[in-house]
Amino acid sequence: MTTISSAAEEAPVAAPLVGRPDVNRKRMARLGWMFAAPALIIVGAVTIFPIIYSVVISLSNAEVSGNGISLNGFTTSNYSLVLKNSTWHYALAFTIIYTLVTVIVELVLGTLIALVLERLTAGRGAMMALLLIPWSMITVINAELWGYIYQGTYGVADAVLNAVGLGSPNILGQSTSAIIGLMIADIWKTTPFVAIIVLAGLVMLPGDVYEAAEVDGSSGWSTFWRITVPLLRPTLALAVLFRVLQAFGLFDLPYVLTNGGPGTATTSLAILGYNAIFKNLSYGPGAAVATTTALLVLLGCLLSLRTFRVQVGKEGN
Amino acid sequence: MATVDLQQVNKVYENGFHAVKDLTLDVAEGEFMVLVGPSGCGKTTALRMVAGLEDITSGTLRIGGKVVNDETPKERDIAMVFQNYALYPHMTVAENIGFALKLRKTPKADITAKVKDTAEILGLTEWLDRKPGQLSGGQRQRVAMGRAIVREPSVFLMDEPLSNLDAKLRVQMRAEVQRIQRRINVATFYVTHDQVEAMTMGDRVAVMRAGVLQQVAHPQRLYDHPDNLFVAAFIGSPAMNLYEASMTEDAGAVKIGSQELPLPVLCREDHPGLARYANKKIAVGLRPEHLPAATGTGTGPPLTGNVDLIEALGSELVVHFTIDARRVRAEGATSDDEDATAHHGEGVARVDPATKVKVGEKITFAVNTVGMQFFDLETEQAIWD
Amino acid sequence: MRNRKRTGWHRVINGLNISAFVVVLFVGLPLYWLIASSFKTASNLGDSPPQYFPNPISVQNYHDAFVTYDFGIYFRNSLIISIVATALVLTVGTMAGYALGRLPMRGKFSLMVTLLIISVFPAIAVVAPLYLLLRDLGWLNSYQGLILVYTAFNLPFAIWILRNYMLGIPKEMEETSRIDGAGPIRTVWTIILPMALPGVFTAGIFCFTACWTEFLFALTFNSANNYRTIPVGIAEFGTVFTVPYGTIFAASVVAVVPIGILVFIFRKFVISGLTSGAVKG
Repeated sequence: MTTISSAAEEAPVAAPLVGRPDVNRKRMARLGWMFAAPALIIVGAVTIFPIIYSVVISLSNAEVSGNGISLNGFTTSNYSLVLKNSTWHYALAFTIIYTLVTVIVELVLGTLIALVLERLTAGRGAMMALLLIPWSMITVINAELWGYIYQGTYGVADAVLNAVGLGSPNILGQSTSAIIGLMIADIWKTTPFVAIIVLAGLVMLPGDVYEAAEVDGSSGWSTFWRITVPLLRPTLALAVLFRVLQAFGLFDLPYVLTNGGPGTATTSLAILGYNAIFKNLSYGPGAAVATTTALLVLLGCLLSLRTFRVQVGKEGN
Repeated sequence: MATVDLQQVNKVYENGFHAVKDLTLDVAEGEFMVLVGPSGCGKTTALRMVAGLEDITSGTLRIGGKVVNDETPKERDIAMVFQNYALYPHMTVAENIGFALKLRKTPKADITAKVKDTAEILGLTEWLDRKPGQLSGGQRQRVAMGRAIVREPSVFLMDEPLSNLDAKLRVQMRAEVQRIQRRINVATFYVTHDQVEAMTMGDRVAVMRAGVLQQVAHPQRLYDHPDNLFVAAFIGSPAMNLYEASMTEDAGAVKIGSQELPLPVLCREDHPGLARYANKKIAVGLRPEHLPAATGTGTGPPLTGNVDLIEALGSELVVHFTIDARRVRAEGATSDDEDATAHHGEGVARVDPATKVKVGEKITFAVNTVGMQFFDLETEQAIWD
Repeated sequence: MRNRKRTGWHRVINGLNISAFVVVLFVGLPLYWLIASSFKTASNLGDSPPQYFPNPISVQNYHDAFVTYDFGIYFRNSLIISIVATALVLTVGTMAGYALGRLPMRGKFSLMVTLLIISVFPAIAVVAPLYLLLRDLGWLNSYQGLILVYTAFNLPFAIWILRNYMLGIPKEMEETSRIDGAGPIRTVWTIILPMALPGVFTAGIFCFTACWTEFLFALTFNSANNYRTIPVGIAEFGTVFTVPYGTIFAASVVAVVPIGILVFIFRKFVISGLTSGAVKG
């Protein structure tokens, strides 16, 4: 029985055919929400809710006692207090400058290391493993280590400096050297991490582009700047973004190494907030500090997200 | 064992795209039905609707006489081979083949036995303990088939299963697939974009274009008796030469460019409808194999062209020529690339390898009018009666 | 013949081995200092100029860490909290990663972006309310408090990683499985999950490392000695006047070694995790 159907233009059905969402799709979508629900609930409850609560506290005359917190009405005095506070100004400047310097140095050093590693044939795996150790190290431990190195009386840093004729300064006792010391500790721990990311990016670059460049007569430096760097940019960009955003929360290192000092020389935004909340029990101002810090992070995130939306959005759907 | 019956099936997506339009098609028990057409013609969508992987917007689908529009794939008792085989990479060949049986809680002993039998049919016995990653493309394809046939389904669905194989292997596997299909004797729906595959494998071939079924028939009939311009241009390789022509006043000859071809009585008797087109323009189709050189044994009316290129294949000469006529294009039958490089009046002919012909010279063909096709220029329908 | 990619430094770094050696020094010297110092006696630790190699080599610090101080307790706490939190994150995160990667949900993209933003939130922003919350629940100085917080804060990144791995699985897998007759949950556990296993390892090692090294929350919520984790424990070794570096370093070595080994074993996953997010997403 052969049924031949030619192009049937006039369908006897009265209503035109409308695209309906698949019953199947709806079922799958519902399943999706069920699967994702536990994760979303946990994350929401523990992050979104407290964030909102933090904002609320920052806008109240908060008082904390043994029984809990009483909010005592709406006020913006916490914010005016914070925004006028010179320590906060310093903390903000310090955190930003600290972030910029460390990220730039890590980027440069990390790229250098990656370039070296990339040409390594034997032992690259072992090198990468070695590089992962500082990354996996507990920051507190790193702080203690460098604290010992910088120790005024018996630290090896002084011994080395002395040997090259630079005297034996009390590194952690003076603001400038303390800040530099802090940065060095951070850079030591994080550069290997950057190196690995850059190395992985380098390894994935297409080799034929380089061969074409060689044929076209491009020299070493020129190749590096005109080809390698642009091709690496997406890899670096996202890594830098995360690193910068994370650096705003700088806490562990200064807390253990310098305790925010000398004085308030190494008091980052997070340390300031922590001291305000848990040492001075000024929950209101402390929350204001915390919230402004979070806003800064959010701002940075949104700005960069717009730039990288093409990257993220491509596979977002 | 069952039949598949589609009645006025439509698929409209959420965004309004009408992928399949009023498809009516049936596949008999044990029949090998090939769905062929250019990409985007809706053949895969149709297949997926039969499988239950896509919802049917309207129309009825029956398997074994039962309406199955709302049934899940599992309930429909179908088996499918995907283009990428979709083998479970972390399971062995044996586990892959037996997975569906395991899900149906078949006793272990039965599973082992069935898997063993299936592996034997497909020549996979020594590979049962390997993982897909260790197999070649052809072997993976056979595992995919094994997974499908072990379940003894009512309907067998295949979505371009040979596209990922290299040319030589593909030709081999075509025969394999047919052999297996005949052995299990299950209604089979096979989708491909390759018309050669369609012609060599199908019991019947359904040609689709832009969601609409153009014609469904035995391969030979599609070749001899295409219903419209699209089918004529799509089926056959090299493709049919299609030209604008006009019928003479007495409808006794057809004028292609500056040349007039008298039509023999037999031809006019086969196409009585041509009489209505006296003095009108039509499209004429001449298959390359129906243009033997006049110096040979052909006795048809002459057609002369300028030779542009000669491809010597050993078994024949493929002659690319030009005549002073306009080509007719059937939209979608050829690729954009082909169209871009085609110029007016080009044609291809397959002639005897001994023919004396040189580039730049003229060649005359003795047109085999039995195979000639005629089409209405506006409706694109074939002209018969 | 190796396919050499000239990244442009060819002429500058001729001494490849020298440069590599410099890198090893850069990373290795402080590490050496850490390990060496852990074996110095208390008095040698304060030598000026410092001893470059411990003499005599003493394991007194290790003894002190476990006996005089409660490092054993801290180690146990860190282990329990990190393992449980990681297990939770992987279980819940895999389901979410699958849903957000392969199921047709509206608003998937916004969700992913939100999760991403949450993952970079500084802990200081939420530490105060969380402290109050946990205090009300009576979960300060407990396992469950920190575990809950760690789970929540590690989920976004884990979901991101898991989702990326899931996206790499061909779509036909679910369809084939469906045709074979498996339900959705069965499909995820039997088919998709084994194929996404590298992603699970990657997310797992990241999560574990994050929990092991976290400081701010642990400092705030679990300050009581019995519930301290390693970072807090080490930070609170000693008093304002004396910093027992020897013991600190001994404890540090013990803390670094297991995670170092783990990371070494799973380094392939760490590296791919670091780059998959950055490069292709």
